[in-house]
Amino acid sequence: MSKRVGIVGAGVTPFKGTWREKTYYELAQMATREAVKDARIPIGDVDAVFYGIYNDIFERAAIPEHALHGLLGMQNKFGTRITTGGATGAYTMSAAHAYLAAGRFKTALVLGVEKATDCFDFSSMSATPEVIKSIGWSGDSFFEQSIGWSASDSYAEVVLAYMDEHPGDLKPEITARISAQLSEHVLTNEYAQRQFDQVTPEEVLNSRLVVYPFRELEICVYSEGAAALIMAEEETAKAISKNSGQPVVWVTGVGEANEHSFAGKNQKDMSRIMSDYHASHRAYAMAGIEDPAKTVEIVELHDAFVHQLEISMAEFGLVPLGRADSLIEDGLMTPGGKYVVNPCGGLVYCGHAVGASNIMSAWSARNELIKRGLKTALVHGTGSTIAQYTACMILENA
Amino acid sequence: MGTVKEKLIPSKYIPEVGSHIETIEGKKFLITNDAMYTFYRRTKGEFSDFFLALRDEKRLLGCKCSRCGLIRVPPFLTHCPDCNFAPTDPVEVEQVGVMNSTPPITYFATSLFQHLAPYGRGRVIFDGADTAMSMVLYTTTGILTPGIIKKGTRVKLVFNDERIGDVSDVFCVPAAELRRDQIEKKGLQRSEIDWESPVEPELPAASASDVAAYREVVQETRSIIEEMNRNDRARKDIAGWKRDILVKTRGGKFGIRIDDGSIRLEETGPTSPDFVMVCQDPRTLLDGLAYRGAITDSVINKKLWISKNMEFNTIFKLDRMARSVARSKKV
Repeated sequence: MSKRVGIVGAGVTPFKGTWREKTYYELAQMATREAVKDARIPIGDVDAVFYGIYNDIFERAAIPEHALHGLLGMQNKFGTRITTGGATGAYTMSAAHAYLAAGRFKTALVLGVEKATDCFDFSSMSATPEVIKSIGWSGDSFFEQSIGWSASDSYAEVVLAYMDEHPGDLKPEITARISAQLSEHVLTNEYAQRQFDQVTPEEVLNSRLVVYPFRELEICVYSEGAAALIMAEEETAKAISKNSGQPVVWVTGVGEANEHSFAGKNQKDMSRIMSDYHASHRAYAMAGIEDPAKTVEIVELHDAFVHQLEISMAEFGLVPLGRADSLIEDGLMTPGGKYVVNPCGGLVYCGHAVGASNIMSAWSARNELIKRGLKTALVHGTGSTIAQYTACMILENA
Repeated sequence: MGTVKEKLIPSKYIPEVGSHIETIEGKKFLITNDAMYTFYRRTKGEFSDFFLALRDEKRLLGCKCSRCGLIRVPPFLTHCPDCNFAPTDPVEVEQVGVMNSTPPITYFATSLFQHLAPYGRGRVIFDGADTAMSMVLYTTTGILTPGIIKKGTRVKLVFNDERIGDVSDVFCVPAAELRRDQIEKKGLQRSEIDWESPVEPELPAASASDVAAYREVVQETRSIIEEMNRNDRARKDIAGWKRDILVKTRGGKFGIRIDDGSIRLEETGPTSPDFVMVCQDPRTLLDGLAYRGAITDSVINKKLWISKNMEFNTIFKLDRMARSVARSKKV
């Protein structure tokens, strides 16, 4: 019988557009220091570390985690790295959960870190084109990289295919309102890259097209930063919690799915994000959730793009497919609505430090469950080409 | 074929050895120019027949499962995983197809593809195939804008005249923009298509009121550009960037000079500009600079014409400066 697993500590660094003052070594240690401090345990009590680092090119090193192991005080202990595109953080938590549930370890450090904007394009004298070029190496190397594949255009393919099937949904005024609302959420997140960048829906609609149909203020921003969790099996978690005075937030469900990366008959249905559907519903099944729309209260969702946030909410079964605009039109995610969606500001406003992002989302979900006295949260990570990968986690504040 | 003599990494992408210091809160941090590069002699392996057919014969190949009959294009596997790995056989498919879904259009490209932007990339199911192939999409009529290519649009495969045995050897254009003989031709090449070349729009003669309005707008534009020039965040957006821009409008013309972190409006435009902007109404540019709508969108919507697509880069920077000024006012 597998063991219950819970989160007993968490910490993040500030997410910033660029950290000139720190390398990823120090960012990783900063988040780890915060997490063990939060759990009130010494690092020596941690049995294993799971590293979430997406892209070797960002860190400018293959096996970028090897140097971290000793400087985190984890020498002579288990350490492995997970890399699954945008879903890296979520998959890293999933891996840690599996080892803890299997009884391999009593405690684990889950550490996500990314240093993206050291990349620099000398022809345009700006970082972003080189950052997205580095991500561009994630496309299919035989059939897509050399024709301009990018993370944005591959997610836009899925969004536009959804809009082909549901032409009345994802209306520009709604995606603009969601972005504006997320910009209000971020005000309370002192670690966010854009804490004080509140925008109006009109500003969103007026922002420039980057990749049709995405406007600048509907896209996540690349960040540098780190996030860490201390996870533990049941008995250890309870003991740590007793000492720290903070409740254990239990991981009651985990689910993952990766789709085809080609489209067409018997391949990916471009109008769906089936990885989101399968991963979330597997997590619900494990957590014993029969009706997610009646159970899930907080969603910390990987909003790479606001349009994709809407589709993901539909795939999670929290709004009907084709009626995702009801998130705003029916007040489901507006203040006081049924769901608290991305209280941290999401990746659009808190920032997207890829390997750290979903772990930051879990940090936020845990904080919000405790602070608001709510019971159930869904944490989500999406990644790879055409939203191919997803990992989801149900957190419960028992 | 394969005669194109270019460097794998064009020299314009390669920075000099160098470093600089950035000071943050009184402390110095060392920033060095750096690169991480690896060269390959990489095999196309089982895909060699596909790429050689593209390069040498201008044919499009797929593979057909010997059990379920599914035809995959490109032929990305040799055995069908849906049929317990039954072998597949090569087949040739047609060079006309249909869009599987509406394609995105990239305006802000990665550093490797800025010269191609704006471009569409979407998935085409070629006649005879069951799966979709990722393709670059262009229109022959100028800048690709939303609505030209949608789900279900018939498109034609076109081959570059110089080919290297790569998916970048081919692209698609809407079949409706071609003659019947071009659509029916196998191996249609880029040079066989009439491409609409960018022609500078003619501006109508200005009335006295146009000139008066122009003078007013130029004053406002100057004041916004001066505000940008006083804004640290906006100045950072054009660090290391130099451009002389000639702006032509119905009521008159002026210049914008961007010079490594500074920007200014010049009454007399440059005699040899890096590029030309043309907009009938000078307010189109003014509104963009004042953060009342993006200049990028004005180019896409054809309210503002630029003489070189590559200068989308500069347009992005101007849009970013407008946002930087607006953002600074919030904090």
